[in-house]
Amino acid sequence: MEYKEIISSALQALRRNILRTSLTMLGIIIGITSVILIVSIGKGAVAFITNELSSFGTDYFQINPGNSTFSSLAGTNTLTLDDVEAIREDSSLTNIKRVAPMALSNSIVTANDIKKSVSITGITSEMQEILRPDILYGEFFNEDHDRSAERVALLGVDVAEDFFGEETDPTGETIRIKDSTFRVIGVTESSSALAGSVLNNAVYVPINVAFNEIIGEERIQEIDVSVHDTEQINQTIEDVELLLRDRHDLDEGDESDFQIQSAQDILTTVQTITGLLTTMIAAISGISLLVGGVGVMNIMLVSVTERTKEIGLLKAVGAKEKDILTQFLVEAVVMSLSGGIVGIILGVGGAFLVSLVANIPFVIDIVAIIIAVGVSTLVGIVFGLYPARRAARLSPIEALRYE
Amino acid sequence: MSQPVPVIHLENVTKRYPLSDGEFYQSLNGITLSIHTGEFVAIMGPSGSGKSTTMHIIGALDTPTTGKYLLKGKDISSYTDDQLAEIRNQEIGFVFQSFNLLSRTTVLKNVERPMMYAGIPQEERTKRAMAALELVRISEKANNLSNRISGGQIQRVAIARAIVMNPSIILADEPTGNLDTKTSHEIMTYFQNLNKEGKTIVIITHEEEIAQFAKRIIKIVDGKIVSDKKK
Repeated sequence: MEYKEIISSALQALRRNILRTSLTMLGIIIGITSVILIVSIGKGAVAFITNELSSFGTDYFQINPGNSTFSSLAGTNTLTLDDVEAIREDSSLTNIKRVAPMALSNSIVTANDIKKSVSITGITSEMQEILRPDILYGEFFNEDHDRSAERVALLGVDVAEDFFGEETDPTGETIRIKDSTFRVIGVTESSSALAGSVLNNAVYVPINVAFNEIIGEERIQEIDVSVHDTEQINQTIEDVELLLRDRHDLDEGDESDFQIQSAQDILTTVQTITGLLTTMIAAISGISLLVGGVGVMNIMLVSVTERTKEIGLLKAVGAKEKDILTQFLVEAVVMSLSGGIVGIILGVGGAFLVSLVANIPFVIDIVAIIIAVGVSTLVGIVFGLYPARRAARLSPIEALRYE
Repeated sequence: MSQPVPVIHLENVTKRYPLSDGEFYQSLNGITLSIHTGEFVAIMGPSGSGKSTTMHIIGALDTPTTGKYLLKGKDISSYTDDQLAEIRNQEIGFVFQSFNLLSRTTVLKNVERPMMYAGIPQEERTKRAMAALELVRISEKANNLSNRISGGQIQRVAIARAIVMNPSIILADEPTGNLDTKTSHEIMTYFQNLNKEGKTIVIITHEEEIAQFAKRIIKIVDGKIVSDKKK
């Protein structure tokens, strides 16, 4: 029997009951749509995060106080400016380019008769290299600012707009942070979609001034270290770890009171977590494929019963078991594969819309599409086999007599 | 001079069916019967007489419980389902009382169907199907859907399908059961014409008037042949 003829007769049989066929396909459509959608969004999210993190470069690592990610936020105070200085001054650490400490706080800022709680970030001039912001007005901190106790401030672009209005250069103006007056020396803007909202909403002051005037104690939340040779970054991390453990009088076996993570580590962690989540949600969506398959089986069984006489007639004119089996199996596969194809179209379309709305890259995973086609064919074969065998094994007399 | 081999030869054929209460129903009680090439036979009998079972066995839709069925000299009593399917495809052309055609399928595709199972290429299928439709004068309806033609036309298409594989026997089960008298006669005339061209025809009917179109009438009662008359 020819496949062209079989497929056209399967399409004819399915068209006979178009509403029923469509409803049966719905389970497969929903399953495939959600798998394609979730995998595409997942891949898009990974691409987005990778781009973001890569825009800061992978040539640096960060040191945080405490032994868990949250310790630094909880106010753990195990890193000092002396540690920063020790890393800077160690002549054996030749791969290190810049060492930039950071201190975070929140404070009431007053300017232009406006009063607001703003995030205050204490940094040094070296942070320019790490954050790579655009300087909209004025200048970034220089080494003189690092050393002196002069009260100067850099404004994130959103803060500048809040206090001084849009497209106004506030350089030279003064703002009050807590009880001290600071002179604005510039406005910065970060174009990072991920970090921009935080970086552009902060006021930056020299770290020493932050400790003395705002925080009231020496408390470092993060030390960013950039390197010359990214290939050697792991060796440098080990060396810095040894140096800090030595400085903190930690014995062998003691847990470190700080954490070191490279940008690459963060990237890998984010990719692993997103990949895992995507796989998990896609697998859950896959369950609806199973439900769809049961629907296909149910309808095929109904169809075999309805067409018993037809099967009898076909057997009378010479159809063998395999001819009937093939015909019904092809019908089930055509039904679930069509559902799969509609699902792919909807999934890809949906992923495109989500990428537009959420502003993430539109990623089509060809492997996911190939798997979707394979899975929907397989669902048709697996769930169509039993009804098809039932049809094929009908006795021609019983089938012809069926009322 | 040796006798020619009959196209159908049933020898002491019995058939019994198991019933749900563990008992058996004896449908045929030892039928012995020979039909030769070119005969036009009507098998008659009241309902429950075993005439349909006889037709099922002759048509290779079923096998006897005991006894032998020789088709063109070959014993097919113990053939497998697929072997019987091949016999039906190659040797027997069926015309049923109702549900003869696949609905929502064109007349042409219906007639082509047995050739599809025989693996005949599409081009030849169409040629032979059109020739068969020509013979029963319905080729102009070739591209009509089969549920869009009249009862008499359906039976003519069924006859076209029955002859398209050039089988040894044309087996018709109450072919005029659903037709008015005029159309019934018209259909029976087609069978007569085919018979004149040398086709072997076996018709199952309970109508005396229809049976009269045949050249030989066999009557079955309670699973036994009670009369076998040639005209």
